[in-house]
Amino acid sequence: MRYTFLLIISFFSITLFAQQKQFATDDNGKFIYYKVVDSQKVSKAMIIQRAKNFVAAQKKAIKIVTATDSSISAKGTLIIDKTVLVVGHPSGEVTYHLTIEARNEKYRFWLTDFEFIPYQRDRYGNFVAVTTIGTPLEKKVDKLTTGQWKDIQATAYAKVEKFGESLKAYLAKDDSVKKQNKPVETISTKTW
Amino acid sequence: MKKFLTAIVAMASTTCALAQEAPTSPLEISGSVDTYFKYDFAKQPNIKTSFASDHNSVSLGMIDLVLKKRTGKASFVGELSFGPRGQSQSIPNAAEDVSSFHIQNLYVNYDFTDKFSMTAGYMGTFIGYEVISPVGNFNYSTSYLFTNGPFQNAGIKATYKFSDKVSLMAGLFNDWNVYTATRGVSSVGGQLMVSPVEGWTAYLNVLSGAGSGGYGTIEDLTTSYQISKAFKLGLNAANYDIDNDGGGYAGVALYPQFAVADAVTLGLRGEYFKYKEVAGVAGDKYTAVTFTANIKSGGLTFIPEVRLDHSGNKPFVKENGLAAPNAGQFSLAAVYAF
Repeated sequence: MRYTFLLIISFFSITLFAQQKQFATDDNGKFIYYKVVDSQKVSKAMIIQRAKNFVAAQKKAIKIVTATDSSISAKGTLIIDKTVLVVGHPSGEVTYHLTIEARNEKYRFWLTDFEFIPYQRDRYGNFVAVTTIGTPLEKKVDKLTTGQWKDIQATAYAKVEKFGESLKAYLAKDDSVKKQNKPVETISTKTW
Repeated sequence: MKKFLTAIVAMASTTCALAQEAPTSPLEISGSVDTYFKYDFAKQPNIKTSFASDHNSVSLGMIDLVLKKRTGKASFVGELSFGPRGQSQSIPNAAEDVSSFHIQNLYVNYDFTDKFSMTAGYMGTFIGYEVISPVGNFNYSTSYLFTNGPFQNAGIKATYKFSDKVSLMAGLFNDWNVYTATRGVSSVGGQLMVSPVEGWTAYLNVLSGAGSGGYGTIEDLTTSYQISKAFKLGLNAANYDIDNDGGGYAGVALYPQFAVADAVTLGLRGEYFKYKEVAGVAGDKYTAVTFTANIKSGGLTFIPEVRLDHSGNKPFVKENGLAAPNAGQFSLAAVYAF
């Protein structure tokens, strides 16, 4: 009986801990995802070049607004999905502002100005934006929509976290080492 | 012609080969269910526009199921609906006891490039502001323009996107609302989309060929403008002429909507509609005003609505069965989208 009680308590603790994973707020009360990364022996110029390549590789989702020799400012969009098990559909998009600043051997990046734009199914069965005016993700909403809004915030955080990890992985990758195309292996069944 | 077809086939094959390298999206499943209660002030079904037709009854709309999948540049959409709204009430030639379901969309699409795509199959019409799915409309009852226009067009269409602000569609279609053409691929249609400023989109549509009542041409303007976070204005205007003085219709509807809270939006539909003269006999003219609220909680939307219609030709009835120039109704609908 005690065992069961402890199990239940620990389950709820884990659930609560999982729920706590959410955006921090900046000085202006806006949601922010902020990371400082030690890039070890990579120069400032190389970090910026890799960051530009990262944006260029996702040109449909991210567009550079300004770029200097030590920073990049860009605007982007992440699609929010409504998923149950393996099926689902897009339920909206979150637009954001991305800033990357580099120094020798370290860089920082942050995403902020998150705005949610809901999608609705159109006459052809495709999900499209209902409006062009987004709702700030940190906005407090009324009771009727609280549950849904919290889900959107949680999904947005998960998407942003994944985006941040992919950015870090890309900036850590050495582009100068070109992948060599492996010749396709030929298997002969004539002799054995 | 042969060279042109060879070029198209070659281009398609090359693009197919490239498309195979593109990632596959998971199967999308979405849909909706809707139900309603309507009370007509004449205590009998009176206003003859589509859906919400039963008086003093908790009645069914439809269950709508949509499947979509994309593999590289190719995609399909299949949308099936079950229930009165998606069955006999949205197929003019369908008998309620014969058809058990209705296909709303069944088409395949191929994006040859980021700008150029082609679509073939049975598609929701590109004409008009309102649609069959209750999820796509703000008002639960429908306009005269919707009821008298096409619901679906089967055919093949090509769309070229010049930019995010301008695109052009042109296509060949069967006659309206049929899975199989009864008069051949007899219609030609086009749509010019322009978005002059952010939040404002306008569609100029033309469909000419076999339609309701004979061969004719519809010109249609459908536009909406999200003027501010809270205020949206929509407009639909259409003119349909059937050849050989076969009649047709013309009308205009305005759709102002104002969000008073995160979950509550109030809206109005004001419509003027007239049937055209046939063989010297003037058609009825209607004005209709519909007050609607949308109250949302998660996937659920409650839609209370009051509608008042007027026509000088007295096409409506009073409670005692006598002809009347005015009709009114109250309805409360619940629509769940998933």
